[in-house]
Amino acid sequence: MVQSCDRCESPATVHLTEIRNGEKAESHLCEECARALHVPQPSKELQKLLESFSPGSGKQSSKPSATATCPDCGMSYAEFRQTGRFGCAKDYEIFGADLVKLLEKIHRSSTYTGKSPSGDRVEQGELIDAMRRARRRLESAIEAEDYEEAARLRDEIRRMNPGAEGDASQEGGA
Amino acid sequence: MSFGDQASLFPDGPNGLHLPELWLQQEGPEADVVVSTRMRLARNVEGFHFKSRFKEGESERLEAYLREVLLEAEPRFRYHSMPALSSTEREVMFERHLVSREHVGDEQPRGVAFAPDGRTSVMVNEEDHLRIQAFAPGFDLESVDQRVNALDDDVAGRVRYCFDARFGYRTSCPTNTGTGLRTSVMMHLPALALRPAGNTKGRDRDLVRMRNAAEELGLTVRGLFGESSRAEGDFFQISNQVTLGRSPAQTLQDVRELVKLVVEWERSNREAHLRDDPGRLDDHVWRAWGLLTHARRLSSSEALSHLSALRLGAQLDIFHEVRTPVIQSLMVNLRPAHLQLRAERELEPDERDELRARLIRDALGSSTR
Repeated sequence: MVQSCDRCESPATVHLTEIRNGEKAESHLCEECARALHVPQPSKELQKLLESFSPGSGKQSSKPSATATCPDCGMSYAEFRQTGRFGCAKDYEIFGADLVKLLEKIHRSSTYTGKSPSGDRVEQGELIDAMRRARRRLESAIEAEDYEEAARLRDEIRRMNPGAEGDASQEGGA
Repeated sequence: MSFGDQASLFPDGPNGLHLPELWLQQEGPEADVVVSTRMRLARNVEGFHFKSRFKEGESERLEAYLREVLLEAEPRFRYHSMPALSSTEREVMFERHLVSREHVGDEQPRGVAFAPDGRTSVMVNEEDHLRIQAFAPGFDLESVDQRVNALDDDVAGRVRYCFDARFGYRTSCPTNTGTGLRTSVMMHLPALALRPAGNTKGRDRDLVRMRNAAEELGLTVRGLFGESSRAEGDFFQISNQVTLGRSPAQTLQDVRELVKLVVEWERSNREAHLRDDPGRLDDHVWRAWGLLTHARRLSSSEALSHLSALRLGAQLDIFHEVRTPVIQSLMVNLRPAHLQLRAERELEPDERDELRARLIRDALGSSTR
């Protein structure tokens, strides 16, 4: 049976669990009422992405984060998927591989490049991205039998990451 | 009365409400096409949950803490707790770009700090604990970049941000994870949006071209195909989406390239219109003038679309009745909450439209007509 909205008769699509004064309170709202109550909702594009990452939809088993709930804030991956909002900074570790995949889908990268609060520069993301782009070009060069271009790209990739060529493709599993 | 050249209608409004200067009426670089540049950083503080999971009393504690941090970092900042403001005053803050739409209607303890010149502001307890923003008139990425990062670095010395080298700044929404950076450039593109004479339907070839170029760079153009934004005076906003894997410097470079390209397209379209059919542009601008100086009721969007035409005329030097700063100032001062603050009461839509029409006639020096 379809759950109906607490405020009107429309089908509820937003489900909330709140802990207030140690008691669990559940509410079910339709999209319109949720918006009227200023319940944060993901944008349409983000919603689509979140749905495509439902637990178990990927080839790899995503069980750990599918059932994962943050011990600190109580946010589950299922609820995160629905609202598109983290509950605390720790969720980033708890949601693991599913989150990495989601970030890759949104940003085409899951690794940071930019400054740090202490003023240092962090550059992994840009390098990994550059390597990934070069690798994609290498694949299409090979497909097109453009071996001259392929050799050039192979050298470019080597220069970016001397001695550890395979690393970048595995970085998503952290 | 005329208020076109005044810094603000309400240097300090009623009930102790502080309002910053109206920087939008100053002209910045590339002012003929670019209205304003904005940048914001999303930041969260360790030891506190994110907004969706605040415990009892946590948002109050966090707001008080961050208010103190911000006022120590920038003693000249003014701070308002949002719940202490009336709904009209909160809307005015939104119309001034100081706070987001979400920050106006929320129930949580939250606030906004801003510099008296209105060019730097910080939302506290918005979607993220801190949303640090900087603004500049015209196209000025360097200025907003410098100011927003100077304040961010200062605050970083006073609190511990949620940050690690893997994901960067951890934000409430995964679309901001990483740099937490969103930079947007507001552009006035009447010539790109003006369809060739006789073509009332058809696709907007140049607008499609602009959107495609943006997509290639991982940027977006808002207000492009949306019905409502189309009516809103041909103002378009270019902004970045990606916040992971791409450095802020690269992001700014991408935005810079696209904006420069669009500025060139807009300029060459303006020249083409002037060359091919100057009478049409002339008619477009003077019709708007006629309406604005004689209408007795004007809705927000109607006023905006005619003011957009005047802005084009002023920038093309084919229209000299009114200067761009006056037009820019009107665009802000005639929005609904600004009108209500001025009237010191809530106004019915018809009353607003009448007051708006009267103020426009006054500002354009046509009150006797």
